[in-house]
Amino acid sequence: MDSKLSAEPPANGRRPPVPVKIVIAGGFGVGKTTAVSAISEITPLTTEAAITSVAAEIDRTGEVPAKVSTTVALDFGCITIDDDLKLYLFGTPGQDRFGFMWRDLSHGALGALVIVDARRIDDCYPAVDYFERMELPFVVAVNMFDGELVHDLLDLRWALAIADETPLITFDARERLSVRDALISLLRHALERATA
Amino acid sequence: MPDDEPSPSEMRPYLTAHGHLDDAGPDTEADPVSRLRPYLLTAGRAEPVDETLEIEAQVMATDAGTLATQRLPFEHRDIVRLCMVSMSVAEVAARLGLHIGVARVLVADLADLGYLYVERPNLPNSQDPSLIERVIRGLEAIR
Repeated sequence: MDSKLSAEPPANGRRPPVPVKIVIAGGFGVGKTTAVSAISEITPLTTEAAITSVAAEIDRTGEVPAKVSTTVALDFGCITIDDDLKLYLFGTPGQDRFGFMWRDLSHGALGALVIVDARRIDDCYPAVDYFERMELPFVVAVNMFDGELVHDLLDLRWALAIADETPLITFDARERLSVRDALISLLRHALERATA
Repeated sequence: MPDDEPSPSEMRPYLTAHGHLDDAGPDTEADPVSRLRPYLLTAGRAEPVDETLEIEAQVMATDAGTLATQRLPFEHRDIVRLCMVSMSVAEVAARLGLHIGVARVLVADLADLGYLYVERPNLPNSQDPSLIERVIRGLEAIR
């Protein structure tokens, strides 16, 4: 990639780690921030993304309070894999109007974890649609808020209409190891696709 | 979030608005609730000098940047100081409380001045099985 950013690396031989990333997607309040916080090494960080005037035009006028619509948090966390590799987790902004940012976030990602609240599964349809279209490996992870499933996983799979090879798992976004296992499920799926 | 949040499936802006959102400029409309105007820091620019700058690109202060720290305007100085340790553009934004778009602009400016070294992410590698296996091993080590 030809770049204007051509400064030399610092002379002391430090090299930044190679970044890899996983996108954490899903509707509002499904546990994206919780999941990122549970596993990130750094204190949960959110960064603001302001609405552009163009994006504002497609806002559902009147349905979202104006104050809420001015900013949206982009969840962000990281995990050191080894000395040379750092895994970043980017939670997609809740509002689907941030499609432009989804592209930035998804570009070059290892895959996506689509978090679902089984009581409101349609919230995740845009994410599922999007990653299917992008051909980005993804796993649908049902967040077990109350420790029990509202629907049978087979019913959920039918409702989601996801491909048979797309893993559908359950996890607890509050539990570090559960989030870790969900990410590993995603990466195993990505690995299968990469080696297929 | 309120339960009456409209269903995302009602509207899929990234499908219907594809190609338009890229043209989005800075928010020029008067905003009665915003207390700050983030793009003040960037002289109104919404796009970095290199608009391909990824938010996960790793940035690190160069020796020139370290030497120049005292002479830099405060927002630039904060970034160079922070980047004595390498971190992503997104992390710079989060740690300094900057709008992600503003951070992109400022980081690109500083790189253009030679004060920051930017390591572009090697994106094609995301399909590399050995890379994926390495990340899996790293995650498995989490206890």
